[in-house]
Amino acid sequence: MDLASLTAQLQALRAEALPRIAAAPDLAAIDELDLHYLGRKGGALSVLMRGIGALPVEDRPRVGVVVNEVRQAVEGALGAAREGAGAAALAARLAAETVDVTAPAREIPRGALHPILETIDRIAAIFGQFGFVSYEGPEVETDATNFRMLNIPPDHPARDLWDTLYVDVPGGLLRTHTSPGQIRVMQAERPPIRALLPGRCFRYEATDASHASEFYQVEGLMVDEGTNLADLKGQLVEFAHAMFGEGTATRFRPGYYPFTEPSVAFDIGCLVCGGSGCAACGRTGWMTILGAGMVHPVVLRHGGIDPERYQGFAFGMGVDRIAMLRHGVTDLRVFLDGDLRFLEQFR
Amino acid sequence: MRVPLSWLRDYVDIDLAPEQLAERLTLLGMEVQGIERWGADWRNVVTGELLEVARHPRADRLSLTRVRVGAEVLEIVCGATNIAAGQRVPVALPGAVLPGDRAIERTEKMGVVSNGMLCSGDELRLTADADGILILPPGTPLGVPLADLYGDVVLDVDVKPNRGDALSLVGLAREVAAVTGSAVRFPEIAVGESAGPSVASLLAVVVEDPALCPRFVGRWVGGVTVGPSPDRVQMRLLAAGMRPVSNVVDATNYAMLELGKPTHAFDASAVARDGAGRARIVVRAAGPGERLETLDHVERELSADTLVIADERGPLAIAGVMGGAASEVGATTRDVIVESAVFDPVSIRRTAFRYALRSEASLRFEKGQEARLARIGADRVAQLVAAWAGGTVAPGRVDTAPAEPAPSRVAFRPGRVDRLLGTAFGAAEQATLLARVGIAVEPAAAGQAVPVAADEAPLLVESAADALVAVVPTWRRDLHIEADVAEEIARVRGYDAIPTKAPDTQMPHFRPDPLERRTAIRRALAGAGLDEVLTPALVPEAQAALLGWPAEAADGVPGEDAFAGRPVRVRNPLSERHAVLRGSLIGSLLDVLAFNERHGRDDVAVFEAGKGYAAGADGAAREWWRLSFLLTGAAAPGTWSRPARTWDLEDAKAIAALVARAVRGAPPTFAPHRGGAPLHPGRAARATVPGLLAGLVGEVHPETLAAWDLRASRVLVGELAVGGLGGGQLAPVRVEPTGRHPGTERDLAVVVAEGVAAGDVAATLQAAGGPLVRGITLFDVYRGGPLGAAEKSLAWRIAVRPDDRALDDGEVDALMGRLVEAVASAHGGRLRA
Repeated sequence: MDLASLTAQLQALRAEALPRIAAAPDLAAIDELDLHYLGRKGGALSVLMRGIGALPVEDRPRVGVVVNEVRQAVEGALGAAREGAGAAALAARLAAETVDVTAPAREIPRGALHPILETIDRIAAIFGQFGFVSYEGPEVETDATNFRMLNIPPDHPARDLWDTLYVDVPGGLLRTHTSPGQIRVMQAERPPIRALLPGRCFRYEATDASHASEFYQVEGLMVDEGTNLADLKGQLVEFAHAMFGEGTATRFRPGYYPFTEPSVAFDIGCLVCGGSGCAACGRTGWMTILGAGMVHPVVLRHGGIDPERYQGFAFGMGVDRIAMLRHGVTDLRVFLDGDLRFLEQFR
Repeated sequence: MRVPLSWLRDYVDIDLAPEQLAERLTLLGMEVQGIERWGADWRNVVTGELLEVARHPRADRLSLTRVRVGAEVLEIVCGATNIAAGQRVPVALPGAVLPGDRAIERTEKMGVVSNGMLCSGDELRLTADADGILILPPGTPLGVPLADLYGDVVLDVDVKPNRGDALSLVGLAREVAAVTGSAVRFPEIAVGESAGPSVASLLAVVVEDPALCPRFVGRWVGGVTVGPSPDRVQMRLLAAGMRPVSNVVDATNYAMLELGKPTHAFDASAVARDGAGRARIVVRAAGPGERLETLDHVERELSADTLVIADERGPLAIAGVMGGAASEVGATTRDVIVESAVFDPVSIRRTAFRYALRSEASLRFEKGQEARLARIGADRVAQLVAAWAGGTVAPGRVDTAPAEPAPSRVAFRPGRVDRLLGTAFGAAEQATLLARVGIAVEPAAAGQAVPVAADEAPLLVESAADALVAVVPTWRRDLHIEADVAEEIARVRGYDAIPTKAPDTQMPHFRPDPLERRTAIRRALAGAGLDEVLTPALVPEAQAALLGWPAEAADGVPGEDAFAGRPVRVRNPLSERHAVLRGSLIGSLLDVLAFNERHGRDDVAVFEAGKGYAAGADGAAREWWRLSFLLTGAAAPGTWSRPARTWDLEDAKAIAALVARAVRGAPPTFAPHRGGAPLHPGRAARATVPGLLAGLVGEVHPETLAAWDLRASRVLVGELAVGGLGGGQLAPVRVEPTGRHPGTERDLAVVVAEGVAAGDVAATLQAAGGPLVRGITLFDVYRGGPLGAAEKSLAWRIAVRPDDRALDDGEVDALMGRLVEAVASAHGGRLRA
């Protein structure tokens, strides 16, 4: 074997290998060619290189250069082929994995929080920004806490305002409003007080679309040395704007509650007709959303607070009515019957 | 109160449109809840003159009339007998519509065409007379729509319970005057007394308990002729919502609406005479077993605290509430006794409630009556009876308490009023505002007592200049303290005039939110796919017995322990369905499931955070919070890409674990609960996290499902006491070091006897593994060959991770060996080969 012949064989190997590699259909064929040409032990290149030892010493480096050129060429071709085959395989796999993405999405289960409690949450968040702190009280109250401490004596005509459910424990009744909480908070705290009292209330009232015997109220109470009617107005206007929108019209007029003096009825412009008058607002253009007033001095005293030094305001609002206005509910019975067709809309 | 504006104008000038007046009254605190156009339903009814009344040619009981209506003359057939030529009458023209949507058309009556109808007062709802045609006064213009002459605007005013004085036209006229600044015209009350025997010789009145009847004024009208009231009076009463009865009774009702003073007229012949021949009336409490047939012809047994008007034979009337049938004024009545009394408001209120006889009269009595009005009312009724029923008024009055109290005085500090209102009106403007509701103002003296709160010693002012004294008109019974005066000032000025500002007072101290832990749990459960429900706390009495929920299973949670008491019952339930306060929420959740099943929903996953209630031996009611849930049907509906997953017992346990985690608690342990109904004896567990959570979770017993008539065959429920559900803060999470080295997991299958509880094995594994073991998961349970018949294999995945070092396999192998040994020694198990 001489130099020229060996070199020619090497070039022939290259000439044969490169088109075969380029034509290899897949990775397995490429691996086979890799072994065939470059295999350490029986690879075509290795076989040829065995002939190097027969060459004169001075020729051996020259052949080595050619061997390297051929090896690099074959290796380069194998690499390129592998890259091409990999990309094709991936493309094929991805194509095979295609799904119909237009199918409606599956639902990740998520439950609804009850709109009444969410409305209470919203009210608490608004008054929380004004510094009001939440408290809770019992639902089984007594004549003393539900009425007498609130300046409503027995057999007083004002009792007509609350149709009451009485229970068979001494003096017991189901609270008709959250107002007993005023007394509890005043007895437990010293001014300055800013308290919010959400909770369930009960009335002897036949259930229809707008009345329920069990319902929710939120009571508010602010007491300090200078707390006055102007403060009450300011807070309620702010609340109405936060709850119902900046443009909501508001109106204050005298009301009557035995536990406030002066007493206030707070109206907002009808959210249904915008104030022009409709069935929802009794054609007045106004909706009463809460009762309020300056805490009666007798009530302050029952709360252990000196009515000469301190003044306060209180308000009580019906959560059900506010939730109805917020969500467009026309029959409040849906709140307590557990109808999932209604509740799931809040998910 | 219904207020016909034409009547109100008798007492005050009004130059506002009805809508304006309504708004001004509302803003003054007299809320107008409705404005009614009285006569709006007389469409096409005009005035006419009867030119001729002739007999109908073919019907004896009908008349054929010729009626001039403006320029036109109409032939109209009429059945009434009170008509005559020359009279002026209301004519419903063809096309007219009368109250009750009664349409009037041109009709043929017995061969004669009738071009409309002559109207009775009743057909127009103007008077109570249904028999005769309404005869209008002679000067009535012709061809004019009747509504122009007799139409009215009626305001429906919501008078608050503290303003009994405003349950009257005069009282509301005073409010109108406060708005408009015009003067109030009190009705002219002048009684034309006869020269005959004085009332003292005809009537004697004895009040046994003056506390219950502080004043009784009697008048005597002799020789009356009872009949209908004048049309105009009937019209006014009807517009105000009262049915005309007779001239005498109408006089009492008219005076009540006008003055706010209920009175009663007795037929004097029904009252027993005393030795001097006088009718003798006694005001006293009813005696044992006494009975009375009241005006509504109901025979009533009177209770001992019923105040009655009586004669020596027995009760004549229930004082202030309802008269008796025997002494009722009727067609044959000749002499009338007028009673105008003041009764104790509480007594009247209780009596009216007891007999379910709350009337216009009792409503006014129970709000308190001005003593002065007893005299004025007696005079007014005597005057009206004499005017409408004829007869003569005997000279003088019987009066048990003629002295009339002076106006009360309430001192107030204008500075404090401004401080309360947040205004700067000052003393002068405040005095001006008070004058508009008839409250005069006097200077105060040094040391003047100011009533800050009615029930305490008044505050004494140092300087006379600091205070003023309001002279409260006798009719205002609602003004007692300084704050009452402040409200008068504010409402007369208008609440619009009060500034609107942000408080500049101090912020309160921080207080924990009592809802914090409850909210965390509720959000976690909603996040897990459960819908929150709220259900009524009042349930049927039978429900608790039907359910039999073992409340004591929730014991052991400080602050939320169950209370083993009896149910709290409502004394006056609205219905049997809302009769007791529930002890458990589970019955309500089964109700929710039943409701949804009826509406075609079988997949229901709901929860409620609500209260349980019971009463103890000491009589006191207790309330506690519970977290309850119900799961049935599919947890996630099947889709094309994933099959449906059904809620099972493991989910119920997982909910308990989720609740514990939501309040940063350790996972609960579960012990078998074999109590039977309401829970499946083999599929119920008591979940416990010591000191934090306790309660039952499990599958509902088939008998309980049947009792609720449920379609679902497998329903899971749980009711848990959770610490802080009723108020408490969430503790912050305290982290453990995560370590720099990875942990490892090993699977370990142990063979144990069938009766060994997996929960016990888990506890053994955790105890033996110590802090190295970070997680124990039961991933497989196997029964069958080659295991013995009463054996099972529990396969556990054990997560192992040290804090601060790497683990080598040998150490983990040794740990696994210890775990197997521990299980073997505690439960008799072995490693599954």
